[in-house]
Amino acid sequence: MSPLVLFHLAALLLLGFGLYGLTSRRSLVGMLISVELMLNGAGLALVASARLTPASDELGQLGTLLVMGLAAAEATLVLAMVLVAAKRWGTSDSDRLSALKG
Amino acid sequence: MEQLAHAAYGLYLVLILAGAWAAVRCRNLVRALLGLIMTLFGVAGMYFLMAAPFMALMQILIYVGAVSVLIFFAIMLTRTPGGEAGEEGGGARPAVRTVLALLSGLLPAAILAAVILTKAPQSLPLKPELPLGRLGQFLTGPYVLAFELISVVLLAAMAGAVVLGFERRKSA
Repeated sequence: MSPLVLFHLAALLLLGFGLYGLTSRRSLVGMLISVELMLNGAGLALVASARLTPASDELGQLGTLLVMGLAAAEATLVLAMVLVAAKRWGTSDSDRLSALKG
Repeated sequence: MEQLAHAAYGLYLVLILAGAWAAVRCRNLVRALLGLIMTLFGVAGMYFLMAAPFMALMQILIYVGAVSVLIFFAIMLTRTPGGEAGEEGGGARPAVRTVLALLSGLLPAAILAAVILTKAPQSLPLKPELPLGRLGQFLTGPYVLAFELISVVLLAAMAGAVVLGFERRKSA
């Protein structure tokens, strides 16, 4: 297998694990961890494509950098939302957060 | 050299696999977070392997340094009244849930893997390492709009987090 395929398979592994965790986890923080796994897989695939194909190297690496920035912003917002949910309902279990209007 | 690269790839893959397994399976969220950090280091190693050291260092700086600390705060601040912080409650997971989750994880990955294995373009030899100056020129030249937009998004996220935090304190 060529290096490109190997790196993309590693990225796919991260995607699969992330999707599995996102659907099987009950707590919101566990789901956030799974989303970070998937975002990492996306970054790995982007950099692999940029480094090992004729595509623009700068574009791929900067794209990954922007993905990392978005992940940081997303983690900040999710932290605040989880805190609000935990304060209001006393739990961060996604199965028990079913009220649409508190 | 070729074998050395394959050995390094295998090592990083094992790191990623073990970390991801811990991240999605551990009942204790702190252990899951440690698994995530292990995975992040594995991905950083893969960036090094692709001769993209800047990306690897940014991965360690942003993900391991900032995002995982944020997640750790989230774990510690959401402890249940009676329970231990970071324990995922709800008893044993139903088997149906695990099977469905496995399906939802495996199916998209398997389809994409089939596409990659059959349609992947020829892999080029690794390009020479990109000098950091070129990245900076790109970021301030053709992609300056994306650069500014990500700052605005970050600012909006921070402001949103602060607003949500204040609202929480007022209603308490």
